[in-house]
Amino acid sequence: MTDQRPFYVPVGDEEKVFTAAFRQGLALLLKGPTGCGKTRFVEAMAYDLGRPLITVACHDDLTTADLVGRFLLEGGDTKWVDGPLTRAVREGAICYLDEVVEARQDTTVVLHPLADHRRQLPIERLGIVLDAAPGFCLVVSYNPGYQSVLKDLKDSTRQRMVAIELDFPSPDVEEKVLCHEAGVDHERAAQLVQLGQVIRRLETAGLREVASTRVLIAAARLHREGVPLAAAVRAAVTGPLTDDPVVTAGLTDLIATYLGDGE
Amino acid sequence: MEHLRLLASAIAGQPLEVLRSEPPEPPWTDGRTIHLPAGMNARDDVRAVAVQAALVGAGSLAPDVMRRLVRRPAQARRYLTSEGRRALSECEDLLPPAARALIGRGGSDLPPAFGTLRPRRVLAAAEERTPADVAVAGVGDASATRVSSLDDDDEGVGPGEDLGQLFSNQAGSGGPLGRLLARLLAPARGRTGDGPVGAGTPSRSTARRPGAGRPTTVVLSPGAGDGDAAGSEATGTWYPEWDVRRGRYRDAWCRVAEHDAPLDDRAAAPRFDSTALRRPLARLGAGLEPTRRQRDGEDVDLDAGVEAWVDAAAGANPDDGVYLTKLRHRRDLAVLVLLDTSGSAGEPGTGGVPVHDHQQRAAADLVAALHDLGDRVALYGFNSRGRTAVQLLRVKAFDDHLDAASARRFDGLTPAAYTRLGAAIRHGTAILDARAGTPHRLLVVLSDGLAYDHGYEGRYGEADARRALIEARRRGVGCLCLSVGATGEPAALRRVFGTAAHASVPRPDRLPSLIGPLFRTALRSAEAQQRVHQRRHRARQHAFVARMTG
Repeated sequence: MTDQRPFYVPVGDEEKVFTAAFRQGLALLLKGPTGCGKTRFVEAMAYDLGRPLITVACHDDLTTADLVGRFLLEGGDTKWVDGPLTRAVREGAICYLDEVVEARQDTTVVLHPLADHRRQLPIERLGIVLDAAPGFCLVVSYNPGYQSVLKDLKDSTRQRMVAIELDFPSPDVEEKVLCHEAGVDHERAAQLVQLGQVIRRLETAGLREVASTRVLIAAARLHREGVPLAAAVRAAVTGPLTDDPVVTAGLTDLIATYLGDGE
Repeated sequence: MEHLRLLASAIAGQPLEVLRSEPPEPPWTDGRTIHLPAGMNARDDVRAVAVQAALVGAGSLAPDVMRRLVRRPAQARRYLTSEGRRALSECEDLLPPAARALIGRGGSDLPPAFGTLRPRRVLAAAEERTPADVAVAGVGDASATRVSSLDDDDEGVGPGEDLGQLFSNQAGSGGPLGRLLARLLAPARGRTGDGPVGAGTPSRSTARRPGAGRPTTVVLSPGAGDGDAAGSEATGTWYPEWDVRRGRYRDAWCRVAEHDAPLDDRAAAPRFDSTALRRPLARLGAGLEPTRRQRDGEDVDLDAGVEAWVDAAAGANPDDGVYLTKLRHRRDLAVLVLLDTSGSAGEPGTGGVPVHDHQQRAAADLVAALHDLGDRVALYGFNSRGRTAVQLLRVKAFDDHLDAASARRFDGLTPAAYTRLGAAIRHGTAILDARAGTPHRLLVVLSDGLAYDHGYEGRYGEADARRALIEARRRGVGCLCLSVGATGEPAALRRVFGTAAHASVPRPDRLPSLIGPLFRTALRSAEAQQRVHQRRHRARQHAFVARMTG
C-alpha cells in the first residue's frame, strides 16, 4: 500500500456506495468504458478503507485454478499454492478482478458463494471451505460495450453484485485529472479534453474504442516531455485507436483543425 | 475530406457525410449530407461544416419548422441567421478554434459561412429516413436527386414540384408506384436494350440508386460504356461449364475476371454489426480439450508426475511437463462470401425492401462476425454479362483489412446484369484454394438462387451451378448457400443448392439461429466428400499402377 492516496476525483456518489457496500460485505460490479478510471477508483478506495488490494487481470484462459490455487510438484512432493483469490479471502483484502467477462464462464462460477451472503470459498482440491476474513471485498470490473454479446456476465453472477456505473469524467473534472496526472497547464489540458470530447462523439467504423481519459493523460505526459501537442495526440490517441489508414489520416487532419491555431 | 466528415459527425453527434457540390453553391445540408462548394480555403471549410453540423446536432432542422419555411426565402434566411448562432453556442465546447469566432459576431446579416437553408431538401431527406428506416438507403434515396433535377430553384415553385412531392412520398414507402416513377423519371440511363438477354426483361435491370454522383452501371450490352466490362476482355480466368443436355463439360467456356468493386463516394460507412452472429459462430469447433503433459496447468497429470518421479529417482533428467490443463483449439477457418449482385437482387423482397439490401446486410454481418472471431474472411460480389464477362467484384480479399476502403467498396455494390452462378462458384473455389491458406475452407453464396445469363437459363444453369458446388466440395471446400429476403420459389432454390447446406430466410435477423448448424453441416460434408474423393482417387491410382506394373 502506498502512503499517499491515489489521485481520484469522484464523478458521482460512487465513493459513498463503495464504502457502504464494503461495510455490508457486498460484492461490487464496476461498469464503465476502458480507461475511465475504474482501476484507479478501486486503488483509492482500498487506501481509504485501509485494506490491501489484490488485482487480477482476467483473460480468456483464466481458470479456476489460477484464481483459487493449485498443487505443484516439487521433487516427489506436491505442494499447494494459494491463488490470488484465496489469498485475499484469507487476509481480508480487496480482491479486484479486472475485466471479469474475459474469464471463462466456468471460472466465474467460483465467485458465487463468495459474492452472496455465504462469503465462503470452497476449495475443491483441498476439500475445505474457507470463510472470508473480515475486510474481504470482491470487486469485479466489466466494460459493457466490449464484446458484450459473445462474452457476457451470467445473470446469476450479476445478481450477486452491487453495480456502480462509471463514465468518463465531465470536462472540468477531466481537465483537473490531466493537470494533476501529467502536470500540464490548464490551457493544454482544456485543449486535450475538448479533443477527447470530439473524438468520443464520432461513430466511425474504424474506431475500436473512444479516446479514454487514460490516452488523454498519455498524450499530456508526452507533451510535458517536450513533444508538440499534435504529435503527442497522434502518438497517444490516434495510433492506439485505429489501424485504418483512411481514418488515421482523417483524425490527424481533424486534430490539426483543433490544435493548429493553438500551437 | 475525411477529416471534415469526422468533424461534422463529431459536432452533430451522428454520422454525417460531407460532399463537394458541383457546381459550386453556398454550403447547405439536408440533415444527412453537408454540401460544400469547391475551392474554399481550409478555414472556411471548417467553419461551414461546423455551422451545418451544429444545425443538425441542435435539432434546428426539425420537420415542423422546415415545413413552415418552405417557399419563404426571407424567413428562412432570418431563421438561419439566429438559429445558426444558437446552434453554434450550444455546442461551443466542441467547436474548433476557427469556428468559434462565428459565435461572437453579432448583427442581423447572414455571415457567408452560414450558407443557405433548404427546407424542402431537409424534408425530403427526413421523409426517406422515417419509413421504418428502410434498410440502409433504399429506393427513396433517388428521390432527393430527382426532386433537385426537376426543379433547380429550391425555394421557388418549380415546374416539377408536385410531381416531385408525390414521388418522394411514394418512393419513401418503397411502394410499387414509387419504383415505377423512379424508372419513369430516371435521367438518362445507359440502357440500350439490345443486350444479349436484355430485351424483353426490363425488370431485371433495376438500378437502385441512379444519379447522385455515383457511377450507375445499368449497361446491358457488354462493353457499352462500362469500363469494367471492357477491361475484362483482356484478362480473366477460363473455367469449364457443365452442359447437362450433353452430359459433359464445355472446356474453357466461361471467363471470370476479378475487379475491385467501385468505391462508393458518398454513403456513410455501413455498420459492420457482428454481434448477433458472433455467438453461434464462436462455438464452431472451439471447445476446450483437456491436454496432458503441460508445463503449467490446473491439476497434476498423475501419469506424467509418476514418470517424472521415476526418472528423477533413476538419475535421469525428468520432463517438467507434469500438469493437466484445458486448452482451446484454434479452428483455422477461411470463409469466402460470394454476394449475388445481379439485377434480380434489385427486385423487391421481404417487406418491399430490395433483396440486395437484405443480402448486403447479411453479408456485412457475417463478414464482421467471422473477422472478429479471427477467421480469415473475404467478400466478393458477382454478376455476369454472358459467358465471357463474368465478374467477381472484390470488396475484401483475404489479406485486406476490414477498413473504411472496404466499407466503401461494399457500399459501391449495385445490382446489375445477370447471374452465371457456376462460374462464380468455380472462381470462388479457386480463390479459396489458392489464397485461403487454412485447412478448413468454406464458400458462402448469398443469392436468390436464380441462375440466369445468356445461354444459361432454366435447367442448364441450375445443373451447372449444382455441379460447381459438388466440385467445390470435392476439393474440400464446404459450401453454404443462403437466400435472404428473396421471394422466389423454394423449389428452385433446392434444385440449385440442394446438394449443399442451404437455407432461405425472409430477413437477415433470422440468420443467427440457423448459421451455426449450417456452417457445421457445410464443413462436415466437405471433409467427408474430400475423404471419399481422395480414397477413390488413390484407388484409381493404385489400379493404374497395378495395371502398368502388372
